[in-house]
Amino acid sequence: MAEKKKTTTTKKTVTKKPITKKAAPVKQDIKKQAPAAKPAAKPAATGSTTQQKPRVGVFICHCGTNIAGSMDLMAVQEYSKTIPGVAHVDNYQYMCSTPGQGKIEKAIKDHKLTGIVVAACTPRLHEPTFRTATKEGGLNPFRFEMANIRDQNSWVHMHDQVGSTEKAKDAVRIAVAKAALLQDLYPKSVPVEKAAMVVGAGVAGMQAALDLAAAGIKTYLIEADTSIGGRMSQLDKTFPTLDCSQCILTPKMVDVGRDTNIELYTYSEVNAVEGYIGNFDVTIRKKARGVLTPKEAEARGLVGGGCNGCGDCDAVCPVVKPNAFEMGMKPRKAIYINHPQVVPLIYTIDFDSCIKCGLCVTACGPEKRAIDLESKDEFVKVKVGTAILATGYELFPIEKKEEWGYKRFENVITGLEFERLICASGPTGGHLVRPSDGQTPKKVAFVLCAGSRDNTGSGKPYCSRFCCMYSLKHAHQIIEKIPGCTPYLFYMDIRSFGKMYEEFYYRIQDEGAKFIRGRVANILEDSKSKNLHVMTDDTLLDRPVDMEVDLVVLASAVQPSADTNRTRKLFGVSCSMDGWLLEAHPKLNPCGTTTAGVFLAGVCQGPKDIPDTVASAEGAASAASIPIHKGEVELEPYFATCIDEKCAGCGMCVNLCPYSALALVEKDGRTVMEVTEAKCKGCGTCGGFCPGGAIWMNHFTTPQIVAQIDAFLLGGEQ
Amino acid sequence: MERTKGYPAALDKKLQDTKLYVDDSNPEFSKSVKAISRTNSHMCYQCGTCTGSCPSAPRSSYRIRKFMRRAVLGLENEALTDPDLWLCTTCYSCSDRCPRDILPTDVIMAMRNLAFKRDIVPVNFLKTVTAIYASGHGVPNNDVNRAAREKIGLSRDPPTTHTYAEYMPGIRKILDHYKLKANADRIIKEREG
Amino acid sequence: MSEPGAKHKFAFYLGCIAPNRYPGVESASIKAMKKLGVELVPLKGASCCPAPGAFGSIDMNVFYAMAARNLVLAEEMKMDIALVCNGCYKSIWEVNHKLKHNKDLRDAVNEVLKEVDMEYKGTINVYHTAELLYNDKFIGVDKVRDSVTNPLTGARIAVHYGCHLVKPHKDREFEKEVMLNTEHPMWMEELVSALGATPVEYRNKMQCCGAGGGVRGYDIVHALDITNEKLINLQEEKVDALTDICPFCQLQFDRGQIEIQEKFGATYNLPVLHFAELLGLAQGMSPQDLGLDLHGISCESFLRKVL
Repeated sequence: MAEKKKTTTTKKTVTKKPITKKAAPVKQDIKKQAPAAKPAAKPAATGSTTQQKPRVGVFICHCGTNIAGSMDLMAVQEYSKTIPGVAHVDNYQYMCSTPGQGKIEKAIKDHKLTGIVVAACTPRLHEPTFRTATKEGGLNPFRFEMANIRDQNSWVHMHDQVGSTEKAKDAVRIAVAKAALLQDLYPKSVPVEKAAMVVGAGVAGMQAALDLAAAGIKTYLIEADTSIGGRMSQLDKTFPTLDCSQCILTPKMVDVGRDTNIELYTYSEVNAVEGYIGNFDVTIRKKARGVLTPKEAEARGLVGGGCNGCGDCDAVCPVVKPNAFEMGMKPRKAIYINHPQVVPLIYTIDFDSCIKCGLCVTACGPEKRAIDLESKDEFVKVKVGTAILATGYELFPIEKKEEWGYKRFENVITGLEFERLICASGPTGGHLVRPSDGQTPKKVAFVLCAGSRDNTGSGKPYCSRFCCMYSLKHAHQIIEKIPGCTPYLFYMDIRSFGKMYEEFYYRIQDEGAKFIRGRVANILEDSKSKNLHVMTDDTLLDRPVDMEVDLVVLASAVQPSADTNRTRKLFGVSCSMDGWLLEAHPKLNPCGTTTAGVFLAGVCQGPKDIPDTVASAEGAASAASIPIHKGEVELEPYFATCIDEKCAGCGMCVNLCPYSALALVEKDGRTVMEVTEAKCKGCGTCGGFCPGGAIWMNHFTTPQIVAQIDAFLLGGEQ
Repeated sequence: MERTKGYPAALDKKLQDTKLYVDDSNPEFSKSVKAISRTNSHMCYQCGTCTGSCPSAPRSSYRIRKFMRRAVLGLENEALTDPDLWLCTTCYSCSDRCPRDILPTDVIMAMRNLAFKRDIVPVNFLKTVTAIYASGHGVPNNDVNRAAREKIGLSRDPPTTHTYAEYMPGIRKILDHYKLKANADRIIKEREG
Repeated sequence: MSEPGAKHKFAFYLGCIAPNRYPGVESASIKAMKKLGVELVPLKGASCCPAPGAFGSIDMNVFYAMAARNLVLAEEMKMDIALVCNGCYKSIWEVNHKLKHNKDLRDAVNEVLKEVDMEYKGTINVYHTAELLYNDKFIGVDKVRDSVTNPLTGARIAVHYGCHLVKPHKDREFEKEVMLNTEHPMWMEELVSALGATPVEYRNKMQCCGAGGGVRGYDIVHALDITNEKLINLQEEKVDALTDICPFCQLQFDRGQIEIQEKFGATYNLPVLHFAELLGLAQGMSPQDLGLDLHGISCESFLRKVL
């Protein structure tokens, strides 16, 4: 075996001439690079081991039967011993356990290892674990390399013992090739700006902002609408406690308005984001509102001026538009507020419908002078350390499911429209009426899973999670407010999973709501009475149903709010196929994202009821405050490095860099490229492009990658 | 008899054990249904959209949802011997609306195919086969219509197999490949003598 | 009027019921389409599509093979198929679609077709004439309107879309997206308006006629009961005629009314016309040319209104 090993090594250098050629200058570069990397290194590196002969330790994890059950681990172990540069091989049931990590630490000392390979799961899961073990053993933590033989091997080739064993050998060989060339690296620490941003001021964003502010952090709260409160402020009552939504929300809204640590930007959106965790430079677009706040008025020298919310302008405005807050069921003027309790109490001009007649300017008067018909969008730049996205949801346009006739039949409404109709401050003063004739309904059908749990492609495949419960609440409100009116809930499953939810279901059934287990097939309208025929199957009675009702309420599916996609791209956050923002880990890191320093709160991540929304907001606030309180964050040292001797100063890389991390500078009378390490994300765009091969990506250097490719391609000949 | 404590015979039948046992089920049946129907018949979650959409359901005991259940559970005998199997008008309303994106209509068609393999088939279906075997048309021409065609300036017979009888041997060959005519004749003879 | 040379040519697939029961549909289609620049060339030797309800119920493989045979006839003519019946559309279009997209199915079918020296290649497309009339790539509503010489003014006409042209919409691929709406389509109503008539909405427009799937043969009373429900809904709206795009639906509504009278004692006397027949009338063809006297329910009341 040993002989064979030797021959292969020679063969490699002989047959792959171009690589040998390349390898030679590379070695020199390593020496040169070591001092170049030193600024990132703290004290002088404790013995740069690059010149030493590599001594790699390989540790193979069984992961219980996850790996061991699908391949011959002993064969992988025996093979690993034959790989050039390997000085020690071991295996263990669970390498991530304390004894497993102990094996690494001990072997580093006993066998004077220079590099560590663990063949196990994914770096995403356990790279930090094994880096720590490597460090504890006395090596630089970046001398660790992982071979994924579980997620990309044993799990996908569960029934191919032979194939998975061979693939594992390849994976180990490739990892060893890299581990042999790994270098000491030192993470860089950057200070964290003591400020945070929250995008979206619904209940999630408000709660997150209040928590951050209470922790002493300056917080910028950005809201696209003219006032804060979000969807929750449109609701009448909340389940299962039946407290009035506005009553419990308004105090929070007022707190947000008053908190000196919160800087509120309504009718605004995030326009641009630059930078990285600890140092995000965010540009906020304040949309032209046409109305000055007292503060803004003061800035213009109008002391005592600005909008005081008196509404004199509203009274004279001649333009009438549907009020979106009231789901279009109530009129508003071109200058308007959403509802009487708005925070902030500042009017807004809808410039799309304003005719600039000037009546409002006159009505506002010479003291306040709050109205500026010529106002333009303004851009404000702020710096924050961390950010939370809480961009919320909107209803799926349920008219797309034509079978239920929404927007075709007058008496088919959505759950949100029901909320406004049953709400005392709503368009009917809380009297639930049929849109067709204003009559009080005596029989109301609720269509659950309207567009949810739908795999046809025209609806949403997921459960929207709060429709069962709000429909139960709607049923209760009908029974309470309209004597003799019966609610019928057409359902597939009642999902009453939360605290006190099942008890609520019990209560509503006891109150007299009727439950029919059948998804509504379609709805027909009686052209004269405008009554509706709900067609379904009572699946429990095994009987087709044609029920004539006065009003139908569709518990429409929800989807991410319209601007979510644009906003998430600005922050570099991923989304699922359905458009919901993607958390770093669904169970163990539910508030974080894969972009360091950016967190998620509320429904933008997936449907949540109010308790879950608030809980996730507090979680996000806590997570977002950690780097700020620590005051500094470590950046992984994977940035690009310029080898000045090779750099021709062409500047191509500078234009290519997506993070504006590169610049041309004068050094020793030559123009060369310089990397701003804190800005560099290590994407490799510059390194891959550089015509002179003058750019190296730390931890992913050309020799390291070439060695991996060689190990794979030539490995078959061994 | 003991069990029913002397109830009349009709009640005796009513009280018989109708529990679902594992050996009632034939997993191969579920697979065959899926293969023939080319739809994910096993994904039904019994919401009732199909029966709610069905024009046949309100005027009969035909329940497409029940047949979907039988497809999921592999209840072959129950599905194939139920005369309601033949009440689907194939209007595809259920398939149009099924939230699980299944085509229940095609599940019914698959079950009818499997029933035919066991000689379970209403005679009217077979008569269409014999008609096509004879003339190429399921609804053939007749003398009244020939006269009418002539009157409005058309040929007495349409330019189909009716005019070009030379195409008939090919059609018969295809039908004979599947022994369709022989089977149809045999079953019709068994039923009608 | 000078007729421009035919811009489009199609192999005209007739099916069974149109030529053998309502020949007016055949002659009206040929003449009316010619005026609109579409030439329908006879598809010689075509057979039954085969009936999707009957054959699909017995053996899908025979269904595929028989439909493929008709498709091959058109492939040999190097022409796309045009047809006038929803049932035929289901067989011919859907089998064409399935064979184009499933190699296993195509191979199995060709194995059988080899015995009769034929091979399915998947080189043509299949269209319903209603689709040709509506899609301005071929004709379009405006051209239909321009071709009208005898507008059907004052007639209240309801549309029966039937099932197999449009359903299941998830498997259909119409170029005109509105044709994929199977809950509340209005494109046929646009065509009815183009003829000068008033389209009338009625309850449960998209319900089946009741005849399909072999049910008409299996349980005639059951089938007629479904038809009867539709007739009741139509009567509510006081329509002068019902138009369809499927001769089998037409048979069920037209002859079915006589059977309903016999079996249920209900009388409607609602004239039922294929859209091709309506188009023929609107373009000036006489009721005699259209063989309207062959209909089970007299069209007299309707004709008095429009002629």
